Amino acid sequence: MSAWNTFLVVVRKELRDHLRDKRTATMIILLSVLMGPVILIGFAMFLSSVEKKAEAREVFVAGAQHARALTNFLARQDITIKEPKPDYRELIKTGKHEPVLEVPRTFAADFASGKVTLNLVYDDTRQDTGNVAIGVLRRLVRDFNAEAASQRLIVRGVSPTVLRAVDLQEVNMGTPAQRAAQMLFMIPFVALIVCVTGCTAMSIDVTAGERERGSLEPLLLNPVDRIGLVAGKWAAVAVYGIGVVGLTLAGYAAALQGMPLFKLQSVVAITPGQFAGFGLTMLSFAPAMGALQMLIATYGRTYKEAQTYVSYLITVVSMVPMIVIFGQIKDAAWQLFVPMLGQLMVITRVLRGDTIDWTHFVVPLGVNALISAAAVVLVARLLAREEIVFGRA
Amino acid sequence: MIEALALGKSFGAVKAVDGVSFTAHDGQITGLLGPNGAGKTTTLRMIGTLVSIGAGQARVDGIDVSARPKDALQACGFLSDARGLYTRMTARENIRYYAELRGIDPARSESAINRYADWLDMRALLDRRTDGFSQGERMKVAITRALVHEPPNVILDEPTNGLDVMSTRALRELIRRLRAEGRTVLFSSHVMQEVAALCDRIVIIAQGRVTAAGTPADILSAGGKDNLEDAFVSLAGIDAAHGGEAVA
Repeated sequence: MSAWNTFLVVVRKELRDHLRDKRTATMIILLSVLMGPVILIGFAMFLSSVEKKAEAREVFVAGAQHARALTNFLARQDITIKEPKPDYRELIKTGKHEPVLEVPRTFAADFASGKVTLNLVYDDTRQDTGNVAIGVLRRLVRDFNAEAASQRLIVRGVSPTVLRAVDLQEVNMGTPAQRAAQMLFMIPFVALIVCVTGCTAMSIDVTAGERERGSLEPLLLNPVDRIGLVAGKWAAVAVYGIGVVGLTLAGYAAALQGMPLFKLQSVVAITPGQFAGFGLTMLSFAPAMGALQMLIATYGRTYKEAQTYVSYLITVVSMVPMIVIFGQIKDAAWQLFVPMLGQLMVITRVLRGDTIDWTHFVVPLGVNALISAAAVVLVARLLAREEIVFGRA
Repeated sequence: MIEALALGKSFGAVKAVDGVSFTAHDGQITGLLGPNGAGKTTTLRMIGTLVSIGAGQARVDGIDVSARPKDALQACGFLSDARGLYTRMTARENIRYYAELRGIDPARSESAINRYADWLDMRALLDRRTDGFSQGERMKVAITRALVHEPPNVILDEPTNGLDVMSTRALRELIRRLRAEGRTVLFSSHVMQEVAALCDRIVIIAQGRVTAAGTPADILSAGGKDNLEDAFVSLAGIDAAHGGEAVA
C-alpha cells in the first residue's frame, strides 16, 4: 500500500465520517453562514447611528436663556437648542444623556467684559454616547468665538485677518473606501478566526478523539505509511476548513447583496475580485491552522484536554489584530511571513483598494505550506511514540 | 508462525518484559497466560510493532518485525485491547476502511466480511451504525476488521474481556475455525479456564518472564499439581493471598 493510496483512503473516510456529524456540522455552518449577515447588520446600524449623530443639528444647552448672543448664533447655524433633563450630570455619568453645554447666569455681563467660561459636560469613558456631540459642541463654541472676536476687531477698525497669520486647509488623501476599510477590519478578522475555529472540532477528533475512543491503536496496526495517514487526516481537515470559510464568505456576499436597506453597498463596495482575494488568502491559511491544531491536539489524552490546548492557539491568533491596532503596527513586508498578521495585512489592503502583487499571495502560501508540512511530519513522528499512542503513564 | 526470541522491554526502571521466548506454530492455538501486569500485552505489542523492541527479536513467518514492520503487519491480524470503532459509520464501513488501508480489493473484502459475519452471527449488524453497539457487538466488528485481509497469523489480546457468555462462545468457535484453517493463533488471557478450553500450547508469563511452557499436560506435570488452576498459580508464582484475582 503506497503512501498515496493510504492518503486517499484516509481523506475519503475522514470526510465521510465527519460530514455525518450533523450536529457539529450544523453548528459550524449556522455560525459561519450567519456570522456575515449579523456582523454586517450590526456594522450598518453602527454606521448609520454615527452618521445621524454627525448630522445632528440638535445640541443640549443648559441655561440657554441667559445667552442671547449664543442662541442667535446657533439659530443662524441651523442648530436646534434642547433643554437638558434636570439631573443631566448624573445621567451623563451613566451614559444616558448627551453632552451638555452649561451657560452661566452671568453670561450677558461676562460676555461684554470678555470673560465668559462655558462648561462642556461629558464623560469620556462613555464611548457609545456623545462622542460626536462633543465634537459638534466644541466646533460651535470655537466658531462662535471666532465670530465674536472678528466683530470686535471690526468695531475697532482692525481687519480680522490679523488674527490668522496662517490659514489651514485640509486636503484628505484618504478615499471614502479607505475610511470604510478602517472600520471594516472586523470582516477579515472574523473570517480569519473562522479559518481557525471552523476546523477545530475535526482537528481534535482525528487526533485526540481517535485516541480517546480507542481507535488509534488498531489503526496503527495496519501496515500503513504514517505520513500518508496523517497527511490524509490533514487534507480532510483542510477541505472541511476551506468549506467553512467558503460558506462564511458566501454569508458576507449574500449580506452585502441582499441588504440595500442599510446602504451597505455604498460603504462596503466589495467587488467579486476582492472576494476572490480573500478566498485566495484564506485558502492556505485554514489548512495551516488545521495542521497546527492537529499537532497541538495530538498531545491531548482526551478530547477535552486537547480542546483546552487548542483554545490557547485560538486566543493567540485572535490577539494578533489587537496587537496590530494597539501597537499601531504599520503595514510592512515582514508581516507577510507571520501567519494571521500576513493574511490580515493582505485582506486589509484588498479592502482599502491598495495595490497587491503576487508576493502578497505567494509568501503567505509558502509560509502556510511550510507550517502544514512541518505539522504533518511532527504528528506522524508523535504517532510512533509509545507515550502518545498509549497515553502517558 | 510467530516467534519471540528473548524479548525484553523496560519502561524507566521497570522491566516489563524480561527475556520472553516462545514459538506459536501454524495450525495451533497458543495461549499467553499470566496475571494482570505480567507483561503479556507488552509482549504482544512488540510483536505487533506498536511498541519498539527493547531487546531480543520477534519474527512473524520468519520476518524480523523490527527490520520489516510493514511486512510483518501484513502477515498479522491483531485484535488489540483497544477496540474503538467509528460510531458514525456502519459496521461494514468500519471493516471496509481497514480493508482499503491494506489495499484489499472490494470483492475480496466483501467475501471476507460475509464469511466472518456468518461465523460470528452478525449479518444483521453489518449495515447499522456502530453507535450504541454492545461490547460483544463491538468485539465482533473489531475482530472482523482485524482479519479482513485473511492473515496467516492472528494475535488476540485478551479477546474475551468484558464479553457475555454468548459472545465468548462465538469467539471461541471462531478461534477453533482459524486453527482448522491452519493459521497461527496467539492469544493472551488471564482466565485459566479459557486457556485450558482452547489452547494446544500454553506459555505462562509472570513478572515479565516465561515460567512454564508446553501442552496443558506439560504444564500440569511441571506444576506438580492435578489441576491446571493450581499448576498456574504455582507456576506464575502467585501467592494465594493476593493473587486470587488473576485466575478468576
